[in-house]
Amino acid sequence: MRRFTLSLCTLLLSAVAVLGQAPVPDAAARKFFETNVRPVLANRCFQCHGPEMQKGKLRVDSLSALVQGGRSGSAFKAGKPDESLLIQAIRHDGLVQMPPKMKLPAKEIADLTAWIKMGAPWPDAKVVAKIDTKDHEPVFTKEQINHWAFQPVKKPTTPTVKNADWVRSPIDAFVLAGLEAKGLKPAPTADARTLIRRVYFDLIGLPPPVEVVEVFVKDCEGAGAKRGAALAKVVDELLASPRYGERWARHWLDLVRYADSNGMDENLVFGNAWRYRDYVIAAFNSDKPYDQFVREQIAGDLLKNQEITATGFLCIGPKMLAEDDPVKMEMDIIDEQLDTLGRAFLGMTFGCARCHDHKYDPISSSDYYALAGILKSTKTMDNFRVVARWQERPNGSAGDIEKAKVHTKRIAELKEEIKKIKDVIDLKEKHAQLAKFEKMTPAMSEAMAVSDAKATDLRIHLRGNHLALGKEAPRRFPRVFTSLKQSPIDAVQSGRLQFAEWITQPEHPLTSRVMVNRLWHWHFGTGLVRTVDNFGLLGDKPSHPELLDWLAAQFVESGWSIKAMHRAIVLSSTYQMSGAYQEGAFQIDPDNRLHWRHSRRRLEAEALRDSLYVLASSLDASVGGTLFVAKNRAYVPGYPNGIYDKYDIPRRSIYLPVIRSAGYDVLQAFDFADPSFSSGERATTTVAPQALFLMNGKIVHEQTRIWSAKLLAEKTLDDAGRVRRIYTQALGRPPSEKEITRSLEFVQRIESELARAKTADSRSQAWQSFCRVIVSANEFVYVE
Amino acid sequence: MLTRRRMLQSSALGFANLALAGLLSESRAQPVGANPLAPRAPHFPAKAKRVIFLFMHGGPSQVDTFDYKPLLQRDDGRPLPFARPRVVSSVTGNLLKSPFRFAQHGQSGQWVSEVFPHVASCVDDLCIIRSMHGSNSRHGGALLELHTGSDTFVRPAMGSWITYGLGTENQNLPGFITICPTLTHGGVNNYASAFMPAIYHGTPIGNAATSSERATIPFIAGPTPRGIQRMELDFLAEMNRERLNHTGPDAALESRIASFELAFRMQAAAPELQDISSESRETQSLYGLDQDRTRNFGRQCLMARRFAERGVRFIQVTHSYKWDQHDQLHRDVANNALEVDKPIAGLIKDLKRRGLLEDTLVVWGGEFGRTPTAQGRDGRDHNPQGFTMWLAGAGIKPGLAYGATDDYGYYAQDDKVHFHDLHATILHLLGLDHERLTFRYAGRDFRLTDVSGEVVNGILA
Repeated sequence: MRRFTLSLCTLLLSAVAVLGQAPVPDAAARKFFETNVRPVLANRCFQCHGPEMQKGKLRVDSLSALVQGGRSGSAFKAGKPDESLLIQAIRHDGLVQMPPKMKLPAKEIADLTAWIKMGAPWPDAKVVAKIDTKDHEPVFTKEQINHWAFQPVKKPTTPTVKNADWVRSPIDAFVLAGLEAKGLKPAPTADARTLIRRVYFDLIGLPPPVEVVEVFVKDCEGAGAKRGAALAKVVDELLASPRYGERWARHWLDLVRYADSNGMDENLVFGNAWRYRDYVIAAFNSDKPYDQFVREQIAGDLLKNQEITATGFLCIGPKMLAEDDPVKMEMDIIDEQLDTLGRAFLGMTFGCARCHDHKYDPISSSDYYALAGILKSTKTMDNFRVVARWQERPNGSAGDIEKAKVHTKRIAELKEEIKKIKDVIDLKEKHAQLAKFEKMTPAMSEAMAVSDAKATDLRIHLRGNHLALGKEAPRRFPRVFTSLKQSPIDAVQSGRLQFAEWITQPEHPLTSRVMVNRLWHWHFGTGLVRTVDNFGLLGDKPSHPELLDWLAAQFVESGWSIKAMHRAIVLSSTYQMSGAYQEGAFQIDPDNRLHWRHSRRRLEAEALRDSLYVLASSLDASVGGTLFVAKNRAYVPGYPNGIYDKYDIPRRSIYLPVIRSAGYDVLQAFDFADPSFSSGERATTTVAPQALFLMNGKIVHEQTRIWSAKLLAEKTLDDAGRVRRIYTQALGRPPSEKEITRSLEFVQRIESELARAKTADSRSQAWQSFCRVIVSANEFVYVE
Repeated sequence: MLTRRRMLQSSALGFANLALAGLLSESRAQPVGANPLAPRAPHFPAKAKRVIFLFMHGGPSQVDTFDYKPLLQRDDGRPLPFARPRVVSSVTGNLLKSPFRFAQHGQSGQWVSEVFPHVASCVDDLCIIRSMHGSNSRHGGALLELHTGSDTFVRPAMGSWITYGLGTENQNLPGFITICPTLTHGGVNNYASAFMPAIYHGTPIGNAATSSERATIPFIAGPTPRGIQRMELDFLAEMNRERLNHTGPDAALESRIASFELAFRMQAAAPELQDISSESRETQSLYGLDQDRTRNFGRQCLMARRFAERGVRFIQVTHSYKWDQHDQLHRDVANNALEVDKPIAGLIKDLKRRGLLEDTLVVWGGEFGRTPTAQGRDGRDHNPQGFTMWLAGAGIKPGLAYGATDDYGYYAQDDKVHFHDLHATILHLLGLDHERLTFRYAGRDFRLTDVSGEVVNGILA
């Protein structure tokens, strides 16, 4: 409050000072004003900013009106034309350009500029009565304050249901209650083969091996309890597998707009971004508590356990690196960070409040700039030159970093010494010493990471314009969350650590709700709140509000364990339903919002590509590291066909470089999320280019060739056996007798067709054709 | 509620129209299953049905092409008599006159420099806007602003907005095609659908690094002989249809069956469309295909006409990053103009004689212009403050010079037209109200023109 009072006083003083300084116009000044200034204002401006009309709430027909200013703030600073909005506007040199469609002649601009430089003498000017400089407390509507998502999470009691036998977990009780209320019944439980394929793709993004399927089918025979135990065992195994993190980290990477290059105007290589990606994979694999995971990404550098790599979250966004206006560049970077942060962790769209109070959600402009101040007090960039340079920080223990520093210093000293040496022998000796030292330089990796900068409060940027500054917005957190504490931010710290703590307090109404809803979305294809990234007033209402709250409460109680949530969800009856169609239910609930069956889902881009390698047994299961053949901070290298194309690597897709503006066409064809945006929900399109890829794509041809060749080489298999193997590997089930016959006929037809065309390896090519059809089939590409 | 049959009818044909679950959840204006590329009625009767955008990457100099400045010629070497912008990309010196001669052409008597003799012969068809201005003095920002309306964030491209607004007329082809697009300065973001569904994404044919002759649609050809592929697809369709008996009705699965048939047809149609050997020798020569210097861009322009003829909604042709004359202005402006002059004039003449110019809007220009002041001895710096673009064809006043820069051609001065205004005007000509064409994302209704833009009424016929 003290700060606020002070700034108010300062503003008032400066306004008075304007008038105080304004000289009583002498005859010359009076003449200049009357001949060179007033006519210009009258002819050019009064029409829209005079007695008749006040566009932008601005009048320019009196000195006090100019000082008072309009919606964009005071129109000038006496004596300082360059800082005066009026002059910026008539120079057509910023966001505000006046007159809008026509630039004043150079002489008129020069005259007004000279006049302001003179101190803006205005004959018979009245003293400005009062300037409104109050930082109004935001006035939120009842509807905004009472919005469901801003209310504390309350763990509801589980409802009672008629068909109690179906209930395996409280989740089922909530879902079943919803169904029973509409007179609907859940679909029967999926069969064992369907279930294991679903769980494999869902948890690790790969098809189940043939042996695993068969064991699971056997384990499931008999009583329901046996089946539950068998499934629990499989789920445990999958969650313990490193493949799990490679699958689920990818979901998170969509959300944090992960990429290995900047994109935007200057597509520079983020040569160290992959360390953040590996951090995320490791976090999922080790089931890092979600609250800690969030804290590390916002303020890992300020925590005791020093996770600076995690703060890559703030750094990997797309930036305009060649913006000639450095202030604009910085504010744009902050805006991008804030927008991602709000969407990813809170399901809030902060970005709107950059230019004005949020139209729908209770986020005011001062809330926005209060948060922006925290990021302004955080160092993301080394500089804002053209082309700007982002910050990277040594990645290691404090001791290692210190050692490296000493070493670098010693090398610099040696180089200085060498400069001074005249004697040839001495010189040689020193050079040898230097070479030895240079060789010994400890390998110190660097991570894209932030650090605290000088703590600064921002002023509100009127209409988002950094040239039109309004009231100061001291750093703090959005005020609509009245039930949450505002941890004090002092004048020394950025406030990032406090912000991280504020977001992750168990009482936060959004953090846990948003994340469990995301988990639900990733498991089922649709969230309980369908707008997974928007929990604001324009967002969707939850289909099962009580279930959402139960999950959120459960999540926090479990110590924010994501794996515990996976278990709770996957082992529920709800998850294990089949996708069976029911006409009646379809009529009532075509979108399956009530979960009367399991919705069928297309494989994501990565799962599809990785599966092709798995079927051919050519997937390289190595973990982590970078595959990007490029130098850090260099431009993304071009290749003969113009686009980076070193994707032909049999590693899991998550390890392939993600290049903004020039993505991998295979993944893009299957709705890979645009890495320039935080995206909690991928589109699922069915478009012709996907068919073209399966018909003509290089890796489809390559991997089906390898796959079919391996099968042909297995001498113990006959052709029917090969068909069986292909079906089981790809679809998780054996073919029927009819399917075997038909498949063999197909292979035969192709083979004789090829033979007729005198193709050398007609048999292997025919089998390859068959494999290609199988991986193109709906049954392969969709998970039931 | 759409019946299943209607849903299938509407989705059985389109190029990329099968995005059943594809619409982002916040934008559920269209019923699930509607064909998002089906032709849609505009907001009001349209003058133009399609757009061909001839993009001159790098920033062509207005004062050496279409914006004749006698005072600049007179005051060569003198200091600029007024202030430079607050933000510039490089330091420039004194005024530098144009090394090229200007003359008036046609009935309209518009000034064109000697580097564009063929375009000058079409000058009565052009509406030359000499008061363009943008907000960004760097290529990346300016390209993005020109293509997407934002130099700050990744936003849907103009072509994406237009296909989103109007759908496409030929369901066997993409609605938005960009021929040999640039890979730099925003790259894909200049034709990306950003937060809109991917069906509105521009389909690139080749890129700036491929010659137009080698440019193709991704995955359009493969090693499998056509006959074999047909057998594979028949077998696949049989499997997929049988599968439907197990699953019950599922529009996505059914659409996917159709998508393979469409892909198969496209595979046949696309190469035919790109094969220009069926064009007469006279037509080829009209576009400059018979000359080395004009062949590459001429082929792009001819392909653009073929796409336009077949109902593609938005076609962009890029003359790749050549117009950035920080030095060697005299030599390179002449060279660049030579490469595009005949092809562009050929395109306009060809569209006109086929009656296509009546409902096709042709737009020419770069991401900014250049300073009238010198960079070095023979160069000019970027200048977003004032430059020239021109329009031809549907709905504009032909033979008009609109707006003006100051006496030296630095700042747009009269009747200024910002990129937002240009976008609003292009949409208007297509029958779309730029304030009503919105897409909801992240809780906000976005527009191509953000929160500004005014239709430039003075250039409308």
